[in-house]
Amino acid sequence: MTIGTEQGTSVALTWTRREPPHRPAQAPAARPAGDDALERLLALVARGDEQAFAELYQRVAAAVFGLVSKVVRNPAQSEEVTQEVFVELWRTAARFDPGRGTARSWIMTCAHRRAVDRVRSAERAARRDDLAGRRDQGRPYDEVAEQVETTLERERVRRSLDALTDLQREAVVLAYYGGHTHREIAELLGVPSGTVKTRLRDGLIRLRDHLGVDA
Amino acid sequence: MSADLHTLTGAYAAHALSDTERQAFERHLEACPACAQEVRELEATTARLGAAADSPPPPELWDRIRAEALVTRQLPPVVGRGERPRRAGRRGTAAGRRVPLLLAAAAALLVAVLSVTALNLGLLGRADRADRTADLVAAVLAAPDARRVAAQPGGTGQATVVVSRQRGRAVFVADGLPPAPADRTYELWVVNRSGPRPAGLVEVAGEGRVTRLLDGPVTGNEQVAMTVERQGGAARPTSEPVVVVDLKA
Repeated sequence: MTIGTEQGTSVALTWTRREPPHRPAQAPAARPAGDDALERLLALVARGDEQAFAELYQRVAAAVFGLVSKVVRNPAQSEEVTQEVFVELWRTAARFDPGRGTARSWIMTCAHRRAVDRVRSAERAARRDDLAGRRDQGRPYDEVAEQVETTLERERVRRSLDALTDLQREAVVLAYYGGHTHREIAELLGVPSGTVKTRLRDGLIRLRDHLGVDA
Repeated sequence: MSADLHTLTGAYAAHALSDTERQAFERHLEACPACAQEVRELEATTARLGAAADSPPPPELWDRIRAEALVTRQLPPVVGRGERPRRAGRRGTAAGRRVPLLLAAAAALLVAVLSVTALNLGLLGRADRADRTADLVAAVLAAPDARRVAAQPGGTGQATVVVSRQRGRAVFVADGLPPAPADRTYELWVVNRSGPRPAGLVEVAGEGRVTRLLDGPVTGNEQVAMTVERQGGAARPTSEPVVVVDLKA
């Protein structure tokens, strides 16, 4: 880029020159962002570094928005919740404690909690909704199943879900993607809620082992 | 206790507990390292489930998030928790400041002048937008890392750009700028390695004074340029710049 040289007094600038972009703030999400990188970014965000915040957004926005959309469904509300999540991350970044889990897991947990809060408060308003009716809206699991194939990660998650028993899988999917409480799931599946709790636990443990999660 | 409570790790990690159950279980977690560890692992597992549902948000969402974050105060770290350093969130002690006091004072004055002129002269358009823009301008000018960079000599008027890497934004400030020719307008550009992008049109107020927040993010590694363009502006510059400010300088 040529602009007034040392001695030059004229103002000139070459508009058309293109050099390979280096690490721009708006780079397409560098995917499997290492958790180390996320943790470093969070530490910077905690100090008010807005560029680090932008980079953090680039890296996890699709995961957050995707998850929130899956739970909340309504696109406008999903955007609102995603906004809440990121403002919350900005606000509480200094409270992130690496001793309690990875940055990615902290972020996704925050996103999921916000999404679930949103659907529950909406449902509290319309409590009398026929729970059984929701069964016919299509199982969230089927949607997940439809969307797979696109990425390796999806495929891996899909296979891991397939490795669960039916009850484990339905409990996990209805709780996590559906945003339902264990009591609602018990109602939907016609099993005692104690069973749902244990299936959630052993289902997630099996997923953990299958996915090779370390925390 | 709580063979029973122990089995709640999964429901907790999947947010499938009621509020009261969740609170009870969180108390239990404080006292049960085994459950705490299991919750960590199961939350890492659900995070993978979440990531598998990914889908990109609409592009304009970031601007809204950014604008709200800018006016949201951050929580300080919890002090005295393990080895967590205290430094996070503490900055702006004398040693850490990169802006000379004079500049800070000038910035404060400018903010004051600005908020008046911006609103009075209608520089910034609708009032609600103006409020937000004035906030952003103030945030840039008052940022601890604000840097003021003068234009390359030879340009039109007296132009400077104040840039804050921390805020990720920059403000174009000019004085003695002649009015743009009839049917023309000044347009700002942020130029990086991949070329120029439009950063907003400039309206010249009395005595050629301009204070304009540059549209979009700025890292401090770019150049800022101003050209004369058709009314309404252009998507790419069509003329040589009349002002160039090299932020890297």
